[in-house]
Amino acid sequence: MNVLETKGLAKTFRIKRKEAGLGASIRSLWAPQWIDKQAVGGIDLTVAEGETVAFLGPNGAGKSTTIKMLTGILHPDSGEANVLGYVPWRDRKRLAYRIGTVFGQKSQLWYHLPPIDTFELMSRIYELDRTEFRQRRDSLIERFELAPYLSTPVRRLSLGERMRCEIACSFLHRPALLFLDEPTIGLDAIIKERIRELIAELNREEGTTVFLTSHDAGDIERLCRRAVVIHHGGIMVDGPVERLKRDILRYKTVTIRTPDAAGPELTFDSTGKEHPAALLSLPFGTQRLPSEPALLKLSVDLTVTEVGVVLAELMSRLIILDVTIEDPPMEEVIKTLYERNQEIPVFEEGTPP
Amino acid sequence: MSQVLNRLGKKTAKYIAVGRITLKQQLAYRMDFLMRSMFMLLILYVFMQLWTAAYSAQGGGLQATMGGFSLKDIIWYLVLTEAFSLAFPRLCTQIEEEVKNGGVAVRLLTPISYNGYQYFVYMGEGLLRFLILLACGSAIGLLFVGPPEFGGGWAAFAALGLGNFTLAFLLNLCVALCAFWVEETRGLEFVLQKLQFTAGGMLIPLDLMPHWLQQICVWLPFQAVLYFPAKAAVSGGAGLGGYLLLQLLWIVLLGGLAAWIYARGVRRLNVNGG
Repeated sequence: MNVLETKGLAKTFRIKRKEAGLGASIRSLWAPQWIDKQAVGGIDLTVAEGETVAFLGPNGAGKSTTIKMLTGILHPDSGEANVLGYVPWRDRKRLAYRIGTVFGQKSQLWYHLPPIDTFELMSRIYELDRTEFRQRRDSLIERFELAPYLSTPVRRLSLGERMRCEIACSFLHRPALLFLDEPTIGLDAIIKERIRELIAELNREEGTTVFLTSHDAGDIERLCRRAVVIHHGGIMVDGPVERLKRDILRYKTVTIRTPDAAGPELTFDSTGKEHPAALLSLPFGTQRLPSEPALLKLSVDLTVTEVGVVLAELMSRLIILDVTIEDPPMEEVIKTLYERNQEIPVFEEGTPP
Repeated sequence: MSQVLNRLGKKTAKYIAVGRITLKQQLAYRMDFLMRSMFMLLILYVFMQLWTAAYSAQGGGLQATMGGFSLKDIIWYLVLTEAFSLAFPRLCTQIEEEVKNGGVAVRLLTPISYNGYQYFVYMGEGLLRFLILLACGSAIGLLFVGPPEFGGGWAAFAALGLGNFTLAFLLNLCVALCAFWVEETRGLEFVLQKLQFTAGGMLIPLDLMPHWLQQICVWLPFQAVLYFPAKAAVSGGAGLGGYLLLQLLWIVLLGGLAAWIYARGVRRLNVNGG
């Protein structure tokens, strides 16, 4: 069964154009210039019950706009959508009983009050049965380990503690479909992992469909089985996360700091210049990325080698002070993917001989 | 039948819960209460001096009446109008802020009427503040001009009090909802507030205004907010029926207007932020 279906969903915003300077500002008072900016241009999407979908794209790609239309708080210009049997923007309130939303940058908790008060309010707003609500609340408190924070005013909680409360709050009414917009933004690694675990667990146990946007590759790998990448308001890739990982998440970035003030470059190339020989001596399956002089930044292709192998080789050749291993930023990944997709049609059409 | 009642009960419980949590949150703003109370004392003191001077300049001295108001009447009138207008929450600022930072999304994503939610927040915030300010103002009144002789006026005051909060809410809501279209509603809010002060009879009862101005004010909704309850109280409940009817009429009219503005606004609302 599909919980979500869209056809040709599109939204264009009219934006007031203003040039710099006071004169231009004054002119725009009586003669405003408008430009149309297409945020979402025709999205066709189907999500089945129980799926976990990562919705990816660089900033400004139209992710938030799409989520706003799917939750009914934004009216599209054209296209259709059906979410759990409702047209979101027409049946917003009825749909609200069935969906949950977590925005990493917006809070639904009452700032000066302890989270337990917001839980109580939500139970009334969602018209939950009293006994059922208490059982649900207590089980979420236990699972999310919230007991120590329940009676502390929200303003005194750390971001990680608050986010756990936010997510628990969104789960109170057992939503069939959960929208998460950057749920782990600004959190440290341990809390991120814990939050992912909790969401994955609820998806497994209650069959909650999860629709997630994130800039964090970890969120996607850990939580989602399917990835939808959008760019310039349209769908670019739609497929299993496994394939996405093979195609684009196959790189890791390894950054190494050496005690040599002149930087690790010298270790590779005694002339101190950019030299093809220096590149040849990089470990197999790696590529040098631009970085500060004292750092060696390598992009490791996981399809041909492993991070461990690369590190072992480097350790035998260099004195290493510090190492960080990270995923390349989502923006970069998608840019690469986008550029690759752009190239293909050019090849196919061919340039006139 | 019992199912209908059950649903109705749950809907009511929803909005009562909003009012209750607002009250709870209000208790966190002790400083705000204190500042408002201090400001009220200051205003009342200044006006008391002013009116005392005005009355002593009259032929009959402090026993004189102006437009049917004795000095005592007018001071108590001021206590009531000031307590109301200082208690009204700043709805425009709140809604404008919510639209700017995208917080409005959180409201729209829960199964509750947006206007209904705002109404109960307004009442929860305003009524508590009003009670505190009324107590504070009454202390001053008692001290300087003695206990009020409202008689049946108290009942009239209570009857018009709930309606005037609702009407003040609706007036502000109509202006606040403009935030769905324009970035700035402060200017409109300022105008609305000043109309309340003058055409609403906050500082001077409408009876003491020039005749032509009274003729205009009669056709405006502002008199039903502050003037009606305060005037009905000091005049012992005279004219209550007409006041209630007119107040109700304005509530229906402005309620309809607010609903219409909301329905149009929410369609074109662009929720900010990611």
